[in-house]
Amino acid sequence: MSDSKLVACLKHWQVALMILLLVASAIAIGPRFEDGKFTTNLQYGLDLQEGTWLQMEFKAEVVGFETDRSVEDFVADLQKQLDAEIYLIDENKLEIRSYYPEETLRTIFSAAGGRLTSYEQGVSRDTADDVKRILENKLNALGTKDARVNPLTGISGVSHYIRVELAGVSLSQAKEIVGTQGKFEIRIHTTGNQTEHVLYGDTITTVGVPSHEPPGSPVWGVSFTLSDEGARKFQEGAIATGAVSAPDAHYLDMVLDGNVVYSAPLSGDLAAKLAVEPIRQLYASTGTGAAGLEAAKNLEIHLRAGALPVDVTVAGSGYVPAALSDYFRMMCVIAFVAAAIAVGVVIYYRYREPSIVFPMIGTNLTEIVILLGIATLIQQLDLAAIAALIAVMGTGIDQLVIITDEILHEGKVPSPTLYKKRLARALGIILVSAFTVIIAMIPLALMDLSSLRGFALITIIGVVIGVAITRPAYGEIIKEILSK
Amino acid sequence: MGLIAYDVNKYTPRQMMMIPMVILILSLAILGYNMATTGMPVRPGIDFSGGTAVTLFTTDTPGQLEQKFQGYPLLSVGEGVNNGKYLKFGPMDDASLQALAALINAEYPDAKIDQIGASFGKTLQEQALLALIISFIGMAIVVFLAFRTLVPAVAVIFCAFTDIAMTAAGMGLVGIELSLPTVAALLMLIGYSVDSDILLTMRVLKRQGKLEEKLSGAFQTGIIMTTTTLAAVAAMWIIAFVGQITVIWEIATVLLIGLVLDMMNTWLTNAGIIKWYVLKRGGK
Repeated sequence: MSDSKLVACLKHWQVALMILLLVASAIAIGPRFEDGKFTTNLQYGLDLQEGTWLQMEFKAEVVGFETDRSVEDFVADLQKQLDAEIYLIDENKLEIRSYYPEETLRTIFSAAGGRLTSYEQGVSRDTADDVKRILENKLNALGTKDARVNPLTGISGVSHYIRVELAGVSLSQAKEIVGTQGKFEIRIHTTGNQTEHVLYGDTITTVGVPSHEPPGSPVWGVSFTLSDEGARKFQEGAIATGAVSAPDAHYLDMVLDGNVVYSAPLSGDLAAKLAVEPIRQLYASTGTGAAGLEAAKNLEIHLRAGALPVDVTVAGSGYVPAALSDYFRMMCVIAFVAAAIAVGVVIYYRYREPSIVFPMIGTNLTEIVILLGIATLIQQLDLAAIAALIAVMGTGIDQLVIITDEILHEGKVPSPTLYKKRLARALGIILVSAFTVIIAMIPLALMDLSSLRGFALITIIGVVIGVAITRPAYGEIIKEILSK
Repeated sequence: MGLIAYDVNKYTPRQMMMIPMVILILSLAILGYNMATTGMPVRPGIDFSGGTAVTLFTTDTPGQLEQKFQGYPLLSVGEGVNNGKYLKFGPMDDASLQALAALINAEYPDAKIDQIGASFGKTLQEQALLALIISFIGMAIVVFLAFRTLVPAVAVIFCAFTDIAMTAAGMGLVGIELSLPTVAALLMLIGYSVDSDILLTMRVLKRQGKLEEKLSGAFQTGIIMTTTTLAAVAAMWIIAFVGQITVIWEIATVLLIGLVLDMMNTWLTNAGIIKWYVLKRGGK
């Protein structure tokens, strides 16, 4: 291509934009040698990186109900029948944090003077977020790098599963990390900085969600209950340390794995009661406003000592060893190069004209580089995403063929007006087929079908880049090249 | 393009549609038979039925592997080149699963293990089916909006349906199971399928000129489109087969079957319908 044609190409904003994005993407991908090894900024998902995934199912359900009785009475009745924590999450929706089959609940609801109107296994979005937060806290505390926790929430807002991906961790290690609890302890200050052990977390029987106490006040806090033994220890400790008689001089510390997570004096009211009898129902206040609520949420997690508010079972799991993931990564590169060469051969066979074939392949590869550049920001690459990448290359070249054939109708380059008309028509065809691909992939991108999300996202982004940027640019390039 | 000696103008619409319709009826019969006997049109893999899949590289023979894992519900041992072995286990309880994982880790530290619980598989299956239906409806709406005429739009949608039905039947014949990756491939096929159909319809309906010329022009472009895609997918297929990358191999196989069938459906079924439609309107 002569210099003047090159300049003419660059004057089209489509071409300039494409080249700009190509350069930006190359920078984003950042291929380089580090310690003699070739690295990039591409993020790899499991399959292309050693690690474990665990998909866990919540042993809880969100149910709709109807009752003529007052909601409080009704829920109180249910509470007696079911050995589970029950929360009202909506006017007519309950979250039951223990697993019961639909039929069992239907019977119990009828007996309590109501009716079960819907049943879905899982937890509310808020609870799922709590679980995510607890798991992330735990993983961070253990220094696990590169952990991902994602609740899979359906269209109804109920999360049935939560997926955990841990890079560089084996399956048994992962299960251990997710399953183990921290060590929780309550200590009371004696003199100076000295504290004395009162009880361990195993005597805490239930932990509530953040609430106002007394109801209606602006103060946030978390209520929790102790077992009889715990309540007795708590009373003994409070009396022995002198906290009952002088609460402000003897702060109470909550300690998780050696770190103080909460420290406050007993309230005067509680101190007076403890002097007389053991108290099982306790409440720790954390302050007012958003800060108080945030502190209450964290305290709830600490009180549970890393135990999840809802039981989970492992619904699916998998492990990819390092040797295999390295191998997969290498094979993906080979598959990609082979596909690119195959496409080049077919295109050359059809057009036999280097001035068409090279821009075509060049545009196609540019599309892939821009796609990878965007992927560094939003999507990890796994095997399914690589397959999508190769498929994008396939559709990309298809559409360049449409443009070329449409413009080169009868083998001649048309006049500028005719050219415009033909390019518009070619882009029309491309637009319709691009829309169908996008529409076909949207369900996969929105649904949480584990690994297929990457496949769908890469396909959609690839098609959008093609339609919006690279294919119009190719139209301009081919015109400049072929015009005499 | 001399690869395919087919003259899209040589036959009448009726002749063109004969072969695809026979294959479609056969495919639907296969799918229906599967549905009646197993409850699923295509045999579900462990993604949907639940179970454990293990990929490992070993010189042990399948017989030795069967012996080694005889305490577990081993369903099949597949062999590939490079000593790759694929073991499939049926659903089992958590304790057995842990024991199995420990055994595999000890004997074959470089094995890849994936396990899906039966109820999780059922959820995935329902969602995958839903995704397929929504995708198809979405595609149909886009096609209708694009053409706004009944016959051409229905022809494109019918072709996409035919592609998927035939490919699904073909999967059964070559022994590929329905899994998350193959569902993705079927969805991809919806996109590929309408690509050449839209080109054909646009060219014939919106361009000026003789019907024969427009048809053969569209055919030339369409065939080169599908062959380039086919070339990319075939390359992916070969590498994945040699390199034992099951996920990509399965996707590539489904796309290969689908693309070949799509050529037939586009240039016989869809071209037949559009020809009939134009001739009936008295167009030339």
